[in-house]
Amino acid sequence: MQSQLRGLSAALIYFVALLILAFILAPLIAPVIIAFSDGIIVAFPPQRFSLRWFTKVLADEEFLAALAFSARLAAAVTVLALALGLPCAFGLARRRFPGRDAMMALIMAPLIFPVLVTGLALLQFFTALGSRNTFLHLVIGHTVIAIPYVVRTAAASIVLVDEAIEDAARTLGATRLCTFLFITLPQIRQGIIAGAVFSFVTSFDDYSLSMWLADAANFPLPLQIHVFIQRFFDPSVAAISTLMILFSMMLMLLIERGMGLSVKRLVTT
Amino acid sequence: MHRRLFQSFGSAAGMSGPALAAPAVGFLLVFLIVPLAAMLLYSVSARVAGGVLVPAFTLENYARIFTNDLYLRFVIRTLRVALTTTLLCMILSYPLALILAHGNRTFARITMLILVAPLLVNLVIRSYGWTIVLNTRGLLNWLIASVGLPVPGQILYSEAAVVIGCAHLFLPLMVLPLAAAIIRIEPSIMDCGRVFGASEFRVFCHIVLPLSLPGLAAGSALVFPLTAGAYVTPALLGGNFASLLGNLIEQQVVAASNWPFGAALATLLVAILLLVNLIFLKLFERKTARWVHRGR
Repeated sequence: MQSQLRGLSAALIYFVALLILAFILAPLIAPVIIAFSDGIIVAFPPQRFSLRWFTKVLADEEFLAALAFSARLAAAVTVLALALGLPCAFGLARRRFPGRDAMMALIMAPLIFPVLVTGLALLQFFTALGSRNTFLHLVIGHTVIAIPYVVRTAAASIVLVDEAIEDAARTLGATRLCTFLFITLPQIRQGIIAGAVFSFVTSFDDYSLSMWLADAANFPLPLQIHVFIQRFFDPSVAAISTLMILFSMMLMLLIERGMGLSVKRLVTT
Repeated sequence: MHRRLFQSFGSAAGMSGPALAAPAVGFLLVFLIVPLAAMLLYSVSARVAGGVLVPAFTLENYARIFTNDLYLRFVIRTLRVALTTTLLCMILSYPLALILAHGNRTFARITMLILVAPLLVNLVIRSYGWTIVLNTRGLLNWLIASVGLPVPGQILYSEAAVVIGCAHLFLPLMVLPLAAAIIRIEPSIMDCGRVFGASEFRVFCHIVLPLSLPGLAAGSALVFPLTAGAYVTPALLGGNFASLLGNLIEQQVVAASNWPFGAALATLLVAILLLVNLIFLKLFERKTARWVHRGR
């Protein structure tokens, strides 16, 4: 694709875009700078260089417990969302049947309602049922909001599969399972991985649903970080932020390497 | 030849479409539709009077929102913040979307990376990052002071801070559909304008802008409801001065234990969002109908 932006107006656009990119990066860079400061309050300019907030945070049992809990929760959500979402994506992408449009609308419905409202509704629902299993509530809640992403990414890649190749495998005597594993699966692998990443991140990052359903024994990381923000005024929260930002960047690079974050691809699908 | 025969061999097991979709559909029926319907029902079937739950059909929970100035103010502020955020996102989106669609490839790649990278960073942390930037002793004031300009007053804990925080959270959701819309515009149409002597600015105003409206509509349909339903960002950046409907709902349910009223507020929020989205789509549909003749 050849560059279409030329001349003086192009220079202006690039300049404004640079400012906007700085706006995007500012709240990510600020905590990183503060995290390495030796000062005991969050303030610019940063004081002498120090790593003490990192050592404090990494020894904090509440932080580590919340991190482990969120990872466990997100893993469970990913498994359940894929188990429900993948067959559904196949059914909706491959078959035409009455009621298909209504089903598709229902699958996308979690995106229409604010997560906060879904969470409140689930809290009232589980309370009315008398259910006490908080971990299960969180898994169910996060799966509800993860399903649309799984179905959408998986369906998008299933549609692209050339069914003639599957037919060829079947004609040559491959069993259904064999065809699925060696012909279909490799072609939709990216869609499944994308769906898995989406559901993991959806659960790992969720605040608005967890805030209704969590309890002291089942306390996800985002809620814990919010508690830290209210409790600590020193740069320790900035240190946590730095760790999580670095982790996110690494994940992003991994995704970029693995799936290609090409502009065209992201923009046109 | 035996195309029909082979068609059913497509997926894992030769199961029918409804059977494959049934588990997910059933799951969402039980854990989304039923709870939401129950919430709607709950909002009109009970009220709290003097700290006691009175179960009976009532519209009092809704009447309370509209007769009490305090609650009404939350509704209006939520709409105002969501609208301002959407407008801010629209303005910030064009330069980035133009670069993604037509800019220098390397620059577009870097733009995309910087745009998408924050999406993986937890929103609590992104809002916390803004408190460090907007704090009276934060990055922004420090930068302004070191350049020698007069330092603005407290930005944190205001509506402006909430708008900035939400715009930062949801900007990618506006830029991506907008860039998609701009990419779809035939370059020859723009060249046509240039050949006839239009300036780049006129080309933008008369060709790019109208043809990109569907992307803007799609982006707004995401940004507006997400902002209106935000909780953490207004809590961290707005404090007590700019909390939104979500914060009011949480306070009513958790602190005041008034569940029916919380349910009514949540129902109202959903109703408002559905209405606003309908207006958005209609508005843009009419505007774009003149320009866009193909579907979608």
